[in-house]
Amino acid sequence: MNLKKMLFIDRRIIYLLVAAGALYPIIRPIGLPVKPTKPVAALYDAVEKMGPEDAVMVSFDYGPSSEPELNPMAEAILRHLFLRKIKVVVLALFPLGGNEEAKSELNKVVREYDLRYGVDYVNLGYKEGGQAVMKRMAISIADVFPVDVDGRPTANMPIMAQAKNYSDVSLLISLATGIIGEWWANLVNPQFGVPVSVGCTAVSAPKYYAYLRAGQMMSLLGGLKGASEYEKLLKDDYASVRQIYEKPEEKKASATTGMDVQSIVHVIIIAFIVFGNVIFFATRKEGSK
Amino acid sequence: MKRTVPLVLTFIIGMYPIFAFFVPHRVVSNLNDRLDTWLIIVAAFALPLGAVNVFMINFSKISQRRKGWPYSIVILAGLVVMGSIGIAGAYRQDSIGQFQYLFQNIVSPLQSTMFSLLSFYVASAAYRAFRARNLDAGILLVSAIVVMMGRIPFGDMLSRGSMTPLSEWLMTIPNTAAQRGIIIGAALGAASMSIRIILGIERTYLGSGKD
Repeated sequence: MNLKKMLFIDRRIIYLLVAAGALYPIIRPIGLPVKPTKPVAALYDAVEKMGPEDAVMVSFDYGPSSEPELNPMAEAILRHLFLRKIKVVVLALFPLGGNEEAKSELNKVVREYDLRYGVDYVNLGYKEGGQAVMKRMAISIADVFPVDVDGRPTANMPIMAQAKNYSDVSLLISLATGIIGEWWANLVNPQFGVPVSVGCTAVSAPKYYAYLRAGQMMSLLGGLKGASEYEKLLKDDYASVRQIYEKPEEKKASATTGMDVQSIVHVIIIAFIVFGNVIFFATRKEGSK
Repeated sequence: MKRTVPLVLTFIIGMYPIFAFFVPHRVVSNLNDRLDTWLIIVAAFALPLGAVNVFMINFSKISQRRKGWPYSIVILAGLVVMGSIGIAGAYRQDSIGQFQYLFQNIVSPLQSTMFSLLSFYVASAAYRAFRARNLDAGILLVSAIVVMMGRIPFGDMLSRGSMTPLSEWLMTIPNTAAQRGIIIGAALGAASMSIRIILGIERTYLGSGKD
């Protein structure tokens, strides 16, 4: 058999194998065990120490392209915050769909709890301006967002009295794609001292390790793995959350199920890389003879 | 005059936040806060400017029947439909639901599909191009495999729990060292570019200079 031919295998075969590997765990979930890592546990522990007197800002800085990784993360974090009865201030700084992601995720999770809008949580909506918005919120959040996502004035909302500016914010969580998460870490944390946590796609996780090591971020949730670890911590401690994730539609969309897909696809890609290199060395040896 | 006024304005507006950073007096910082507010307003105006730009480029492409012009029709149709429903939503509460509906059922699946195609291309490209041709490429290859295995529970099952710590070490130590170099380099680049713009050395933002 000509080994060199194997190097030029029809790419449709590779596509087919990847598709089969991705589909199988969706049809028949495997339920591979997830072990939480330190950067994820740091956020979970921080939220566990908070209560109704704390206000947390959750910034939706991603769009539909990052949904599969960041939606499960957003849901797990929002569930945890609401379970702890923490005041949640939601905003969006990503122009291509951040506002829509915030709306849909928040609307989905708030239905599970007995919450009052404007008292327990608020959705401030999208604001253009990135770093200028971040800087301005150090003085007054309500000044930057005079109305919420539906055009209601924010000044009279009780939650805004508890979250006037960064000095009232116990933690800022940015669910980010692109550079916005970095701005929270390199501008808001060093200048205003707000603890920052970033949940990002796996592909952008490496750059955040520099901020994590420098102490500009208190925790990091990287991609689907980070989301599944957070889900695991939450499910272990809260029976009510376990029940939610046992519902078929939730189970299918959870990061834990996603990890099964990621596991198989990663193994397929690694197998192809190893196989390709074995053939590469074998053909090189043949060539040198 | 046409170039001098923008250059002077850029110098003043660019220098003021630096001055305010070192002089934290109330009067100075009040004006600086106002500049931040103006920046938010100016940034908001950049959005319609971008939309006009997209409209002009694609309209000329269609009128001149340049290569790929039918795609421009799709872009413009999307811009007009989503834009008009979104703007209408600012005035009529019921349109917000329509915008959200279109977003969730068209924009979101389209973007998710584009992103998920990556896994197929990555698998194919990795098989064809990821070779341990020399020592550097070999180190990169081994690191990539360790990180990929460390990102999945399967890796820990195979290695009795050692893959995640190894992958975390790679991300925390060698990766952080490289990332710091990139971040510091990019920051120095941004700072030097800002100084060039403030001092009027870099003038490309003023346009071609033709009247």
